[in-house]
Order: sequence, then C-alpha cells, then structure tokens
Amino acid sequence: MTDELELLKRDWQNKDKQLPQLSFNEIYKMIWKKSSSIVKWIFIISIIEFAVPHLLYLLPVMSKSMAVWRGLGLGNFLLLSNIVHYSVVLFFIYQFYRRYKEISTLDNAKQLLSNILKTRKTVKHYVIFCLSLIFISYLVMAVGIYLSDDPIAAMGYNYTTENIDPEKLKATIIVTLVVLGFVVTLLMGCIYFLLYGILLKKLNKNYKELKEMDI
Amino acid sequence: MTKDLEHQFVTELEYNQNIVHKVCTLYTNDRDSHNDLFQEITIQLWKAYPKFRGESKFSTWMYRVALNTAITLYRKSKKSIPTQDYESVMFKITADEYDPTEEQQLKLMYNAVRQLGDVDKALVFLYLEDKDYREIAETLGITEVNARVKMNRIKNKLKTILNP
Repeated sequence: MTDELELLKRDWQNKDKQLPQLSFNEIYKMIWKKSSSIVKWIFIISIIEFAVPHLLYLLPVMSKSMAVWRGLGLGNFLLLSNIVHYSVVLFFIYQFYRRYKEISTLDNAKQLLSNILKTRKTVKHYVIFCLSLIFISYLVMAVGIYLSDDPIAAMGYNYTTENIDPEKLKATIIVTLVVLGFVVTLLMGCIYFLLYGILLKKLNKNYKELKEMDI
Repeated sequence: MTKDLEHQFVTELEYNQNIVHKVCTLYTNDRDSHNDLFQEITIQLWKAYPKFRGESKFSTWMYRVALNTAITLYRKSKKSIPTQDYESVMFKITADEYDPTEEQQLKLMYNAVRQLGDVDKALVFLYLEDKDYREIAETLGITEVNARVKMNRIKNKLKTILNP
C-alpha cells in the first residue's frame, strides 16, 4: 500500500502542468464576488431567528391576546415576563455576536468548526428559551382562566352562556389551551431542529471525526 | 494603500494558485463546482489576508484557509456527479514513461481517495503535498501522534477500497 501511495505522491507532485491556470485579472475579479459560505448563511438565518419571535407580537392575533392577559388580571405577569425576556434576548445577542467574531479561517480546522458550532449553539439555546416561554405563556393563561370568575368576558367575548355549565366551559378552555400550547411548541420545535440539523450536517460530521481522532 | 494590498495579494495567489486548484480537484467532481470552490477559497483568503502579515510563508497560510474552506465553509450548490471530461483532464496520468499497469493503479488510487470523507481527504492532501506530521497536526488541530495513527488508518481504508 505504501508503495502505491508513494506512486500517487509522485504523480500528484507532477500534476502542476495539468491544472487550470487563472490570470491575474480573473483572480482579481474573484475577490469582489460575494461569499456563499456557510458562516454567512448561519449569520443570516440566526438574525432571522432572533427577529421572528418578536415580529410575532406585531400580528393582530397577538395584540388581541395582550388584551386577554389584562382581562385575566395577568398584566403584571406580562410586564415582568417581558422584562426578563428582553434582558435574556439582549444577553443572547451579545453572546452570539462575541462568538461570531471569534470565527476565523486562520484557526486550525477543529478550532474553526468548534467556534462555528458554539455560535450556533447560542442560537439553539435562544430558540429553546423562546419555545419554553411560549409554552409557559399558555400554561399561565390556563391558570388565569382557572382563577377567573368569568373567563368568557375576560377573553373579550360577549356570549351568553346560560345553557352551558360554567365549570364545564372553564375545563374545556383550560384543556384547549394546554393542548394548543403543547402542539404549537412541539411544531415550532420540530421545524427549528429540522432546519438546524440540515444546516449543520456537514459541520457536525467533520467535527465529530476530528474529535474522535483525539480520543 | 488598498490598491497595493490588492495587487500584492492577487500576485501571490496567482503564483501559488496550484495549491488551491489541487484542493478543488480533491473536493469537487465537475468543472463548475471546481470553479465555485476556487472562488470561495479566493474570497476567504482575501478576507483573511489583512491578518496574515507574513508571519508564515504565504503558501503555508494558504493551505490552512483553503482546507478550512473546503471542510467547513463550502456548501455544495447541487449534488454533483463526476463528469467524464473533468476526470480525464484532472487525473490524466503524468508518469514519464507510459506504463499501463501503473496507470491503472493510479486511477484506482485517485478514485479511492475521492471516496474518503472530508477530513480524511485533508490528511491525504497534506500527505501528498509532502507536509510533515507536525504541520498536518497543526492544520487540523489534532496531536501529531494522532495524525500518524489516523494516516495509518486511512492507508488501511484505501487498501479495503482497492481490494474489496
């Protein structure tokens, strides 16, 4: 085998004549082209992921649900959770920026892969945080309904509910909220981790290989 | 000043472009992907150039950035299938005296190397470029001992590919 590899080495080092040769101008043009590297994609996708949960608040459905929170007497919870939420978001963005800046092609391959994966992990933690927050909001809303005397009015509707047993109605709303919270969180989580997996497939594979070499 | 830097960079890259072409040859299967990867490596080299500052040789520095781009940053735009014309040009046997057995052997070897994973290819590439194990280890971020061990394993792997 070594002989064959030596043969290959000899041939490889004589290959220069067969390789394409680019001119000064051709190379010069290339340095102004846009990169399509995975790091650039990771950066763009991460920024979108940071922004999306916030854009959701701008939807009319979400503004309506703000009113529901107040109706349920949970306005303070909302304020508090927003303060916590934005502090954590700022922390994540800072962390993401710091790690992104550390990515350098001048590092060795293992270090470079590790830095990129760490940057991505920050976004992953951020998404897990947002998903938990969504799930918790549903749960808190369910608790609010449970404690409320007139859940229908609190939710901003004016239906007469004479024919329905109020306890039964309450139970139905609570179960619906919990199930909905579960389904929404799970669905968003699935979509996210699928995207995450596709994006990092190659990096994870190569990083694992380099790490296994050092065991 | 920037113009000087651009000129200096392109001149050096033009002179050393074979290194990049060789990386592209190992990591791609057709002419389009080859050019794509060459361009991406050029962009990454240019981006990193201001930090280079001549601490090591330009070519040494190139190996690292080029391999990092191939292993990590480059995204294949499409599933590329090996094209015949590309293969025949890239892997035309260069032995001085034509020897059919040798040619057959080399062809098999090249095909076997191209079936390896990204990281294994990087090791083989540096080995073929006659880099010592210290440099291979430093480029990949593993220990020298493990680089040796890994290279032996790759040799065995190639053996299995060649003699299934």
